[in-house]
Amino acid sequence: MNRIRVLYRAVLLSGLVTLAGCPATQAPPAAPPGGSSIQPDAQGPSGIREATSPSDTPRGSLSEAQSGKLPIDAPTSPLKEVYFGYDRYDLDTEARATLKSNADWLKANVAVRVEVEGHCDERGTSEYNLALGAKRSQAVKDYLVTLGVAAARLSTISYGEELPVCREQNEDCWQKNRRARSVIVSGRPAS
Amino acid sequence: MLRKGTLIVLGSLVAVLFSTRPFYSQINKGTIELSGTQRVSVAVSLLKNLGLPDDKRRISESIADTLVYDLNLSGWFRVLDRTAYIENPQTSGITAGSFDFKDWSTIGAEGLVKGGFALQGDDLSVEMRLFDVFQAKQIVGKRYGGRGGDSRRIAHKFADEIIAQFTGIPGVFNTRIAYISSTSGFKELFVSHLDGTGKQQLTSNRTINLRPSWSPEGRFILYTSYKEGLPALYLYDLATGRDTRLGTQRNSTMGGRWSPDGKQIVATFEENGNSDLYLLDRSGKTVRRLTEDPGIDVSPTWAPEGNRIAFVSDRSGSPQIYAMDVATGKTQRLSYSGSYNTSPDWAPKGDKITYTGRVAGRFHIFTMNAQGGEAQQLTSSAGDNEDPSFAPDGRMIVFSSSRTGRYQLHIMRDTGENQQRLTASGGGDTNPSWSPRLE
Repeated sequence: MNRIRVLYRAVLLSGLVTLAGCPATQAPPAAPPGGSSIQPDAQGPSGIREATSPSDTPRGSLSEAQSGKLPIDAPTSPLKEVYFGYDRYDLDTEARATLKSNADWLKANVAVRVEVEGHCDERGTSEYNLALGAKRSQAVKDYLVTLGVAAARLSTISYGEELPVCREQNEDCWQKNRRARSVIVSGRPAS
Repeated sequence: MLRKGTLIVLGSLVAVLFSTRPFYSQINKGTIELSGTQRVSVAVSLLKNLGLPDDKRRISESIADTLVYDLNLSGWFRVLDRTAYIENPQTSGITAGSFDFKDWSTIGAEGLVKGGFALQGDDLSVEMRLFDVFQAKQIVGKRYGGRGGDSRRIAHKFADEIIAQFTGIPGVFNTRIAYISSTSGFKELFVSHLDGTGKQQLTSNRTINLRPSWSPEGRFILYTSYKEGLPALYLYDLATGRDTRLGTQRNSTMGGRWSPDGKQIVATFEENGNSDLYLLDRSGKTVRRLTEDPGIDVSPTWAPEGNRIAFVSDRSGSPQIYAMDVATGKTQRLSYSGSYNTSPDWAPKGDKITYTGRVAGRFHIFTMNAQGGEAQQLTSSAGDNEDPSFAPDGRMIVFSSSRTGRYQLHIMRDTGENQQRLTASGGGDTNPSWSPRLE
């Protein structure tokens, strides 16, 4: 399976989902999902990144996510992120409430398949954080299953500390990075 | 069989020891001694051109500069600034009696490195000598032959020889560091010599690449990559440039390490969110599952005898270092101080383990006895210090530190002394792995 393509689809789909899922009265999102990724290639954080053509790096690819171009918390996605304590993978009350609403949406959109990404903040070492991210994504998957979502619709992947959404060194930022994100990988949501 | 490209060159790089006296024993009785943290003052003269009299200053400078870099890096020597040198290296001799030791004792040199070279076509011959200035005699001399492009390698070899003369064990200057750098905006695999030369980017898949580990003969680098989706193990062959997937496991990996005999690999795989250690054969096939614990088990490192594996587990509630007997599976906890101890690397001599620990919210490099016990904190600078990897002689450690504001590779003695920055790139340099000795 080509994950880059899958992620690409995910970003496109999250646009579809938004349009399908928004009540008519609600204002459309300010920018299309993936909007930040269709800007011309600016210099990356290191200043060395070269320009890429859309053909060799599709929008929403892992490459772009790593260079900080993927829409961060997909504000338009019906599936919200959940957050974790430092070096923890248990779900607190808020996370459970968020997942309850994610589960409700998933049960109403039975064709949708989701990949749950586990992420960590930058503190600590990369291998341990990969293992920690795996625990986080699995905790989310397990809880969604207990809420009635079919396990077969849910896959997991850990990105450890490798794809931070926030790059400052403070607790606010670290908290944003200690997250599990649910990405729609296939299936059209019910209209 | 290995390093096809370099073997041809190596065939012509022949060192001839042209002094047969047992100098090491003499040194200890002589005036030059290595004691504690005090560094020996050494002068490294530019090399004398012994060949055709046209300008080949580049080779002279390349060899001398490399020696200066290596000796300073070692932590045992302080190389005196070249501008203070009195004699003209092109007019004075390079053998005892053919130059004046007073020119060197005057400027405070205890040791002196002199040498000469001749370049004929592309054939380079170099002779190097180390002198004890106060005893006014030669400690060691060596002659090397190679190609014009071998000057740095020859200098590294003589630096290794100087270290051997003073400590009984050669230095590690003919080694490389594999590491992950995000200078391109993506985490790609790189290798570089210690002095920053020969830097090569081995991957450019624009995804995430992590955790290199050298095969014991130095030909392959095992690493983890997301390039096909889920993170899997790959082997980069430095001799051919071939990059192949290792194994066919369907679960995500969190990295692997070669066994010291090169016949096996220990790797972490995830199943239902839980990471455990597995033993693989050289082809990547699973031989045996090593841990079966509901907690995280990750980040393995082999003892040099290959009979034990240290790793990180959170089975006690926080990440700590454990060691397992590979044959029996018997496991004991090694680290007890602190609530976060990860990324162990077992010393080549087997006596110690270095690892990353958290103190007051920051990460630092520690060592402890391989049987467990009291931790020794090696770093205390601002910023975080992570992912230590021992040099093949166990006397230096390379690690990643954010002390400059961005992650770069640093090096230090295994005592924590002589901390120096190795890389100067603008992007994050992390996950260093020190190669074995490479010739």
